[in-house]
Amino acid sequence: MMRKNLRKILAPIASLRLTVALFLMAMFLILAGTLAQVNQGIWEVIHTYFRSLFVWIPLQVFVPDQIKLPGYIPFLGGFAICGLLLINLIAGHVVRFRAGVKHIGMWMIHSGIILLIVGEIVTGLLAYEGNLSLRVGGSSNFTENLHAVELAIIDTSDEKVDKVTVVSQRLLEKAAWDERVIEHEELPASIKVNQWMGNSEMFTPGQAPPGLMPLATHGEARQFLVRSIPKISGVEGNQINIPTAVVTFFHNGQEIGRYLLSFYIDQPQTLIVGDKRYQVFLRLERRYKPYTIHLLKFTHEKYPGTETPRNFSSLVRLVDPAQNEDREVLIWMNNPLRYQGETFYQASYMPDGQGSILHVVDNPGWLIPYISCAVITLGMTIHFLISLVGFMRRSRR
Amino acid sequence: MNTTLSTPQSNLHRALPVIALLLAVVFVLYKTPRGEIRTGDYNLHAFSLLPSTADGRVKPLDTVARTSLQVISGVSEFKLEGKRKQPAIVWLADTMAKPELARTYPIFRIDDTGVLNLIGIKSHSRNRYSFNDILAHRDAFLKQVELASQVAPRERNLFQRHVMELWSHVQLFMSIQEMQYPYLVPPDQTRTEWRPMTQAVDMAKAHGQEEPAALLMSNILFKYQQDQPEEFNQAIVAYQNYLAANNPELAGRLAFEVFFNRLSPFYLCTILYMAVFVLAAFSFLFRANASSNWAQTLGRSAMWILLLTLAIHTFGLAARIYLQGRPPVTNLYSSAVFIGWGAVVLAILLELPFRLSIGTLVSSLIGFVTLIIAMNLAEGDTMEMMQAVLDSNFWLATHVIIITIGYSSTFLAGLLGVMYILGGTMTRMITPELDRVFARMVYGVICFSLLMSFTGTVLGGIWADQSWGRFWGWDPKENGAILIVLWNALILHARWGGMVRTRGIMVLAVFGNIITAWSWFGTNMLGVGLHSYGFMNAAFFWLAAFKMSQVGVILAGLLPLPLWKSFATHPTLEASAVEKPQA
Repeated sequence: MMRKNLRKILAPIASLRLTVALFLMAMFLILAGTLAQVNQGIWEVIHTYFRSLFVWIPLQVFVPDQIKLPGYIPFLGGFAICGLLLINLIAGHVVRFRAGVKHIGMWMIHSGIILLIVGEIVTGLLAYEGNLSLRVGGSSNFTENLHAVELAIIDTSDEKVDKVTVVSQRLLEKAAWDERVIEHEELPASIKVNQWMGNSEMFTPGQAPPGLMPLATHGEARQFLVRSIPKISGVEGNQINIPTAVVTFFHNGQEIGRYLLSFYIDQPQTLIVGDKRYQVFLRLERRYKPYTIHLLKFTHEKYPGTETPRNFSSLVRLVDPAQNEDREVLIWMNNPLRYQGETFYQASYMPDGQGSILHVVDNPGWLIPYISCAVITLGMTIHFLISLVGFMRRSRR
Repeated sequence: MNTTLSTPQSNLHRALPVIALLLAVVFVLYKTPRGEIRTGDYNLHAFSLLPSTADGRVKPLDTVARTSLQVISGVSEFKLEGKRKQPAIVWLADTMAKPELARTYPIFRIDDTGVLNLIGIKSHSRNRYSFNDILAHRDAFLKQVELASQVAPRERNLFQRHVMELWSHVQLFMSIQEMQYPYLVPPDQTRTEWRPMTQAVDMAKAHGQEEPAALLMSNILFKYQQDQPEEFNQAIVAYQNYLAANNPELAGRLAFEVFFNRLSPFYLCTILYMAVFVLAAFSFLFRANASSNWAQTLGRSAMWILLLTLAIHTFGLAARIYLQGRPPVTNLYSSAVFIGWGAVVLAILLELPFRLSIGTLVSSLIGFVTLIIAMNLAEGDTMEMMQAVLDSNFWLATHVIIITIGYSSTFLAGLLGVMYILGGTMTRMITPELDRVFARMVYGVICFSLLMSFTGTVLGGIWADQSWGRFWGWDPKENGAILIVLWNALILHARWGGMVRTRGIMVLAVFGNIITAWSWFGTNMLGVGLHSYGFMNAAFFWLAAFKMSQVGVILAGLLPLPLWKSFATHPTLEASAVEKPQA
């Protein structure tokens, strides 16, 4: 009785009509999210379209740039559609499916799909991606997030160790928006973000287009001129955004000065608070590791007579005192190094060919897709073979 | 039928498929290259077999000649006024050894009127021009090159693109003349790399030490320039002997590649597929007349020729695998060749249980169209080298192959849908029996498509995870693949839920054509993502035209049933739609 009632309640949620409708919605979302990449960065698209509950899709994405089409469509985001599909699928199994050898393929396919969706959600929520840049002979113990910067204030007064305090991009953006002053006991000065630019162009005084005024009063970079430009789209490939912030530092309510901090300026600038000197700069967000990687050798081959890369590989030395680990590893295309839950891939190289860039991924859910895909493919093959046998039998009749 | 006539006629029906096949074989043999390419007394055939390295691959001069001329001129042969067509190797030999002469050959294809005006040509009587034609207006041309090159490639307008295209052709031509391209000097005991002739000459001048290979090769070109055919042929023999002593395996592969070039198996296939299509179409039409044996006879003839064609198609693929040392799909060109091949194989399997010429008809059409597409995609050497990140034979052989078969199969279902809709609305040929056959075929093919497209997509994810740590990156090519998976899943769920019957499935299957075409080509045109291995402009028009035609078929499929000719003739049809779903 209970079961029958349950079925009655679940029937509309379990309906195949809903499945088909959700498939259609997923396809529409994917189409929109693909077309959006013509003008938007892939990272941004992933977060607004696929790893979200809700999205306003601009109509502009469906037509070429030459035609201006204003307006937005409200639509469910990737997480929402996946969630609904999960509910629909589980309800469907409660209502419709029976056990039996004949249905084993179907069971496998659907449980694999549940796992796949879960895996993608885990990746979406937990995965971290960064870059590790190494010059030949050099070493590094941190990765950099290409998609975010941080404001670092460095206290170099101690001979042996630097004390670094950082303010994340998220906080800077928020402060620019709500005009609040960022204060913290660890910070030597409070920070007011006057202006935030997601991507910018920097000029020295001589080259600047007319009309640009210097924005900073202090700091080594105060003579630079800057203007805000649109963020990089997926089309532009390897380029990255150059965020810039105009910030004012205060000490005990007294204005110290206005600084121009930009990812473009890779040298720290001097900040004097009271009688202490600090270095400030805007750098890629860093994550420090308990181990160090040294680049011993970088090889970069091209096909003869062409610019097509043939292979590049990095010979690194991995030193982890905590684990008492010290060994040499060769990382090359399609052959990453997996260490302590993180995977190091040969991604790129420095323009002068004297350095290697490794892509570092920390994804706790990396194994889930492998398992789910094996289950689904096996399930599909079983189901297909069962259907094929039936098909052959009928056509012979 | 008159019984007294049945004996001679049945003999005819038995003999006809054999005769058809024999005719096809004779045609193939006639087209098989024999003999040698000679110009006067010059043994240019031997010259065409000599090795070189271009675009990272060791290949015969024949391939260099064909692909370079194809890039510059649009075709791989050339024609002088008042003379017969000549093979590309003649052009290459002249370009290398007789620069003054080659500069007068009208080979540069220019269609853009703006570019033509630039080099001082007002009328449009021909569209190929010589290097000297361009040289005469070099200042005006170079000024435009200078201007266009300051614009980012994606921002360039049509005129600027054409200017830059012509500039790249001019550069190619000059680099051949200057002996920079291809690399002609093979490695020897002292060096492991191929080098251009200029470099070898510079080295010889600097160190006074001449390399035997460079010396032998330049001797060949010198004799050609001096118009000494006897000595030219002898010089080639001398060089061949040198090569055979140093690298004995190479000659066989080069000779095979030249044979492959001259045979052009895929071109042969297009002609044969066309013949199969005509035979199968007639077979299909004769089916309406139940008393005639012609449907079966023509159907069998078509099938036999189709099998021969498939054999040649397979040979072509196998030859490419051997020459390139790679699985069959490495770029857009080879994906077209392979999609056609996969669809033909599937359609033949589909034909076996039914023998209604449906599979034959569809396979010949797909084979023909995909090979035509491939020929239009071929720009330069189609056996190019792989980017480092794509350089993995294992994944090329699994992910790429499986996903490409998924494309084939989705197209196959779509084409069957087109046939059903056009046949049903415009003719009376969809009988209740045929209706059931179509329904089952398309259902089976869609199930197979889902299996292949899903597995292929997933393998792609695993490859991506292996090479850059991201199982799924939402890049356009991945999204295109997942759209095909979702669409096939949608069709099957709609059918299981009783939302669509035969006609509905057919309409949905035709829409599958649009999705597959978009994810095959459309995503490349976006020009984003790691997967964009091809980018083209002319294809845009054809893609749009194809999509419009499919929309037309879908609209026809949505016509009210009384307007379908077949349904008016067989009123019981729609009732027979599909069996109830079994979960």
